Amino acid sequence: MTGWTLDPFRMRQRSGWTPARVTVAQLIALAAPVAVSLVERGTPQIAVLLTAVVTCLIWELAFGLIRGRPLSLHTATVALIFAVLVPASIPVWQIVVAVSLGVVFGELVFGGRGYGIVSGAAAAAGFLVFFFTGTELASSSEIMALATLPGLVLLLAGGLVSWRILVSVTVVLIIAGLIQDGASSLPSVAITAVFGMVFLISDPVAGATTNPGRVVFGLLAGVLIVLFDTAAGPVVAPAAVVFASLLASLFAPLIDHMAVALIVRRRRARHG
Amino acid sequence: MSLHHHLTAPLIGNNPVTLQILGICSALAVTTTLSTAITMSVALTVVLCLSNGVISLMRHHIPPSIRLIIQITIVASIVIVIDQFMQAFMFEMSKRLSIFVGLIVTNCLVLGRAEAFAMRNPVLPSVVDGLGNGLGYSLVLLIVGALREFLGTGALMGVPLVTTAADGGWFQPLGLMQLAPSAFFILGLLVWLVRAMRPEQVEQPEFRLRTSEDRRP
Repeated sequence: MTGWTLDPFRMRQRSGWTPARVTVAQLIALAAPVAVSLVERGTPQIAVLLTAVVTCLIWELAFGLIRGRPLSLHTATVALIFAVLVPASIPVWQIVVAVSLGVVFGELVFGGRGYGIVSGAAAAAGFLVFFFTGTELASSSEIMALATLPGLVLLLAGGLVSWRILVSVTVVLIIAGLIQDGASSLPSVAITAVFGMVFLISDPVAGATTNPGRVVFGLLAGVLIVLFDTAAGPVVAPAAVVFASLLASLFAPLIDHMAVALIVRRRRARHG
Repeated sequence: MSLHHHLTAPLIGNNPVTLQILGICSALAVTTTLSTAITMSVALTVVLCLSNGVISLMRHHIPPSIRLIIQITIVASIVIVIDQFMQAFMFEMSKRLSIFVGLIVTNCLVLGRAEAFAMRNPVLPSVVDGLGNGLGYSLVLLIVGALREFLGTGALMGVPLVTTAADGGWFQPLGLMQLAPSAFFILGLLVWLVRAMRPEQVEQPEFRLRTSEDRRP
C-alpha cells in the first residue's frame, strides 16, 4: 500500500539526492555552527570534534568493510552535530562511548544513513546524557543561532529540511512561550532551540515523510520539547530538543502510516 | 539424542534467551547486580530441573485436555517451596529479588520446556534438558548481570574494581546500566554476537527494501 510514497529508489530518482550528496550538503550547512563552536569554546572543542569524527568514521569504515557497503562518510555529520551539542569539558572516553553507541545503534545497524529510525546525533547525545548522569548539554548562543541560519536556508532550498516541520514546531513553541513567559521570551526561545530544530528534529531520515504527517510530526515534537523542557526561564534546555527528537522519531512511521491511509481513503472516495 | 546433547545444546546453539527469546522479563529485572543474577539463575535452574522431572514422571497420567493447568500447578508448587526456602535461609537476597522468584511461575521457559520436552521424554533426559536450559539461561543472565554491575557501578559482586569519579578516579559509572533499557541493549548485542558467529540462527527478514535492481523494466 505504501509502495508509491515511501519507495526510496523513486524518491531518490525524483530528487537527485544520493547519500553522498546529502552528506556534502549537511556538512556545508554545519560548517558555520562548527566554526562558531570552535571560536566560542577554544582548543578543548578541537579534541571533541576530532574524537567524534574519528570515532564515527572508524565505525562507518568497519561496517562498510564487513557488510560491503560503499562509504558515504555520512557519519561525519553525526559527529559534527554531536560536537556542537555537547560542552567541551566532556572527557574523551565518554565522547567515544556516546558517539559509538549513537552512530551504531542510531544508524549503522539499520544499514546506514537513510535506513534508521532516529537521528544518529540525537541518539549519541541521548546516550551521553543517560549514561553519564548529570551531563549538561551545551546551550546555544546568539551567534550560534545566527550561524545556523545560512545552513537552514541551504537545506530548505535543497528540500532536506521540511518547512512544514519547522513551522509546526515553531508554532507550538511560540504558543507555549507566550503562555509561560510572555512575548519578551520568544527571542531567547528561538536562540536556544533553532540548532536542534534544524539538525535534529528536521532530520530528513528521522522525521515523517508525508506532507500531512510532517505537520503532525512537528506539532508532536514541539509539544514534547515543551514537556521535556526543565530549564527555568525563557530558554529551551538542549536536552529537551534531543529527547523530543528521539521520541517524536519513534512515532514518525505511525504518523506516516496514518497519513498514507488517509490519502488513500480520500482518493478512493474521489475516484471510486 | 544423547544426554550430552540435551545438556550442551541449550548453552549457545539453542539458547533459550538468545535464540528463542524466552525469559526476557526476568533477565531485565534481576540483572542490575551479579549477585542477584546468580541467585536467580540457581533458583530458575533448580525449578526447571524439578518441574521437568516431576512432569516427566507424571506424563502418562496427565489428561491432555487439562495438561497446562497441571503443569502450572506443579511449577507453582515448586516455586513456592524455593521462595519459602530463600526467605528462610537467605532473607536479604530474597528481599532484593522481591517478587521475581515468585514470578518464575510465569517464566515462559519453564512451561515451554515442560510442554515441549518433559511431556514426551523419560525422566532422566527431562531433568538433563532442564539443567541444560537452566544453564543456558544462567549463562546469559551472568553475562548481562556482570556487565551491568561493572559498567553501572564499577564493582563486581559488590567489590569495587575501579575507582569511580565520585572517589576521585577517572571512571564515571554509566547510569543507564542500572536501568532496565540497558539490559535490552546488552541482550541485543549478545543476540547479534551469537548470530554473527552462527549465521544459521539468523531469521529470514519479513520485509525487504526495494532496490534499484528490483525495478528493472
